[in-house]
Amino acid sequence: MLVRNTQHKALQWLGRQLFNRNDPEAFFDPLLEHINPMWVQEYTPARVEQVLSETHDTKTLVLKPARRWSGFSAGQHVHICVEVDGVRRNRTFSLSSSPLLWREQGLVTLTIKRLPGGLVTNWLHDHLQTGAVIGLGEAFGDFLIPEPAQPVLFIAGGSGITPVLSQLETMAAQDYRAPVTLLYFVRTRDDVIAREKLLALKARYSALTLNIIATNESREPRYLRGQDLDTVPGIKARQVYLCGPKGLMDLAQGLLSERGFADADIHSTFFSVPSANLGNETLGGEVQFESSQMMVGSEGDATLLEIAEAAGLTPRHGCRMGICHQCSCRKTTGTVINRLTGQTSGPGEETVQLCISVPRGPVSLDL
Amino acid sequence: MKKMTEAQLAELETDLNAIREEVLADLGERDARYIRRMIRLHRSLEAGGRIMMPFGFLPPVFVAATATLGIAKILENMEIGHNVMHGQYDWMNDPSLNSQTYEWDTVCTGDSWRRTHNYEHHTYTNIIGKDRDYGYAVLRLTDDEPWKPWHTLQFINYILLSVFFQWGVGLHELETEKLRSREISWREKLPFLKQFARKGGRQAFKDYVFFPLLTFPVAPIVLAGNVGANLIRNLWSSTVIFCGHFTQDAETFTEEECEGESKGHWYLRQLTGSSNFTGGRWLHILSGHLSYQVEHHVFPDLPAHRYPEISGKVQAVCRKHGIHYNTGSFAKQYGTVVKRILRHSLPEKLMGMARAA
Repeated sequence: MLVRNTQHKALQWLGRQLFNRNDPEAFFDPLLEHINPMWVQEYTPARVEQVLSETHDTKTLVLKPARRWSGFSAGQHVHICVEVDGVRRNRTFSLSSSPLLWREQGLVTLTIKRLPGGLVTNWLHDHLQTGAVIGLGEAFGDFLIPEPAQPVLFIAGGSGITPVLSQLETMAAQDYRAPVTLLYFVRTRDDVIAREKLLALKARYSALTLNIIATNESREPRYLRGQDLDTVPGIKARQVYLCGPKGLMDLAQGLLSERGFADADIHSTFFSVPSANLGNETLGGEVQFESSQMMVGSEGDATLLEIAEAAGLTPRHGCRMGICHQCSCRKTTGTVINRLTGQTSGPGEETVQLCISVPRGPVSLDL
Repeated sequence: MKKMTEAQLAELETDLNAIREEVLADLGERDARYIRRMIRLHRSLEAGGRIMMPFGFLPPVFVAATATLGIAKILENMEIGHNVMHGQYDWMNDPSLNSQTYEWDTVCTGDSWRRTHNYEHHTYTNIIGKDRDYGYAVLRLTDDEPWKPWHTLQFINYILLSVFFQWGVGLHELETEKLRSREISWREKLPFLKQFARKGGRQAFKDYVFFPLLTFPVAPIVLAGNVGANLIRNLWSSTVIFCGHFTQDAETFTEEECEGESKGHWYLRQLTGSSNFTGGRWLHILSGHLSYQVEHHVFPDLPAHRYPEISGKVQAVCRKHGIHYNTGSFAKQYGTVVKRILRHSLPEKLMGMARAA
C-alpha cells in the first residue's frame, strides 16, 4: 500500500537487529511526525498547498509531495491515506494534473467529488485544510496515452474527467499530433469540472474537439447514444478511453462492441462505489484469496474463516470467537459485516478478523 | 467456582457486551493520540538511554541510563507491544500498530506470543492442564496439581524465572514438560527453536554485542547497563504478570467445568480468574494497564488505557451478579502471590497438618 520498501538489504538487516522491523528509518516516525510531518519516512508525505473549489460538490487539492516521490504518467492514479478520527483510511484517486507540473514545480493535483455518504470524500471536503499533510502512494495504472500518437476518443462522465484532464494537459503541452475528441457527460451545466481549464485547452490545442453533454437538463435523460460516436470523424481508427460511472461505461462498451471495436482498443478505468446496489440484508459474495489464487462464492452468514476453510485453506486462527485476533488478515477490497457488532466495514484496505467477518458482496483478501 | 445458571450467564454476557460496545463506538482520535504519545515517549527514552549509556563511567549517569533504558523496554513491552499484539489498535489501520505483524523488544517472537498468550492463555484462562501460563509448568500454585518432590524448592525456580523472564517467555512454547513426558518430539519443535534462536540471537546481539562494541572503549559499562536494563524489565514484568492470576483469590478451573462453555461462562471465568492491583497513573501505564487484569481479560482487545474508565462499570456488573472483584494494593496482592508459591511448595497434606498444629 503506502508503505515504502526499503531498498538496502543491509539497512533492512540492521533494522531487524536493532528495532525488530525492516524499515529502521520509520522507527522514529512518531517523533519526527510530531516535529514536522513532512519528515515521516514510512510513507511519502504530501502537503496540501491549496484547496480549490471546482463545482458545488467537487474540489481540487494541490499537493506538494516529498521529493522522494517517484512521479507518474498522465492517466495514472494514486492511493492516498488520511487519518479520520484516529483511523487511517486509504482511498484511490486519479491525478488530475499533468506530470509537467510535478517536474517543474513539484506539485500534483487530485480532483475529488463528494460522494453521498462517502466517509473519506466528505471528510476531505469538510476538514482538509491548506497546510495539512496526507500520505501519498506511488502512482500506478495503465490508463495511458498511446505512444506513438494515434487518434483518440475520450468518453468521460462526472468526476471521471480527472485522469482525462491530466492526459489532455499532457497532450496539449507536447502538441500530440493526432485528432483528440472528448465526450464529457455531466448531470447539468453546473456540474462541469474544470470548465475554464477545458475551454483554455480547446483554445490552445487545435487537435482537440470538446463536446460537453448535460444528461439531466431535458425532460428525457440525454445519455450517450450511437449517434454521438458515429459523428466522431474517423471513429474506427480511434483508441477509446472510458472513465465514469458504471452506467455510462456499460453503455459505451455496448455501443463500441456493436461497432466492431476490439477490446484492445478500448481502455477503461473504474470509478464505482462498491456495494451501492446491494440491499442491506444481502450477505455473502465472491471471496478472492489473493495469495492462494483462489476464488470462492459464499451465501448467507458464513464467515470468511469458514469460507476459507471450506475452500481447503488453513488460515491461522485461534479462538473463533473474535477474542484473540490470531486470524486477523488484510482485506484489500470489499465490504464485510462484523458478526458480533453488525457493523459494516469500509470498502478499502484494512485488517479484518476472519472468524467474525461476513462478506457483503465481493471481497478480496491477502490470504 | 461460583455456580450460575445459563440464564444468569446470558445476562452477564449481555451486561458486559454493553460495556464493550459503548467503548467500541467511542474509539477514535483520543485513543490514537494516546498510543502515539506512548510510542513517542518510548522512542525518546530508548534514544536517551542508549546515548547516556557510554557515559556510564560516571556512576549517577550509569544509574540514570540503565533506568531509562529499562523503563523504555517496560513501556514498549507492556503498554505498547503487549496491547498492540492483542489487536487493541487494529482499528487504526496503521501498519506499524498491526497486531499480526508487530514485533516487540524481547526474546519471545511475536508469533509465538500470539499463539501461547493471545490464543491459549486468553481462551483457556486458568484451566489447569490447558492454560500453560498457570505456573508456566514450573510452579505448582494449586492443590489441583499433584505435588512432586522438586516443588519443595520452587521458590528458587520462581526467582530464576523472574530474573530470566524474557528467556522463559521466549521458550514457553517449547513445552518442555511435554518433551520430558515424550508427548511430543524435539523434531516437532524444530521450527519453533529456529525462530527462537533467530529472535533471541537478535536481542542478545543488540544489547550485548552491537551497542557495547559501538562504544568500544567503554564496552563493559554499556554491556553492564544493558544487562541491567533487561533485568529491570524482567523483574517488573514477571511481577506484574504474577499479580494478574496467582493472587490468593484468583480461581482455577477444571477442563470438565469448561467443556462447551458459553460466552457468559467464559466471561465469568475471566472475572474470577484474574486480579487487579491499585496504584497511581504511572504504575498503571508501566504495567501496560495489566493492573486492570480483570478488565483486560474480559475485554482483551479494547485499548488498555480505557480500562480505568470502565472499571467502575465492570465492578457494578460484578456486584449485580454477586461475583467477587479481586483487587487490592500492589503490596498486598504481591504478598499473596509469594505466599501462594511458598504454600504450594509442600503437599496439601503437610500444609493441612501444619494448620492443624
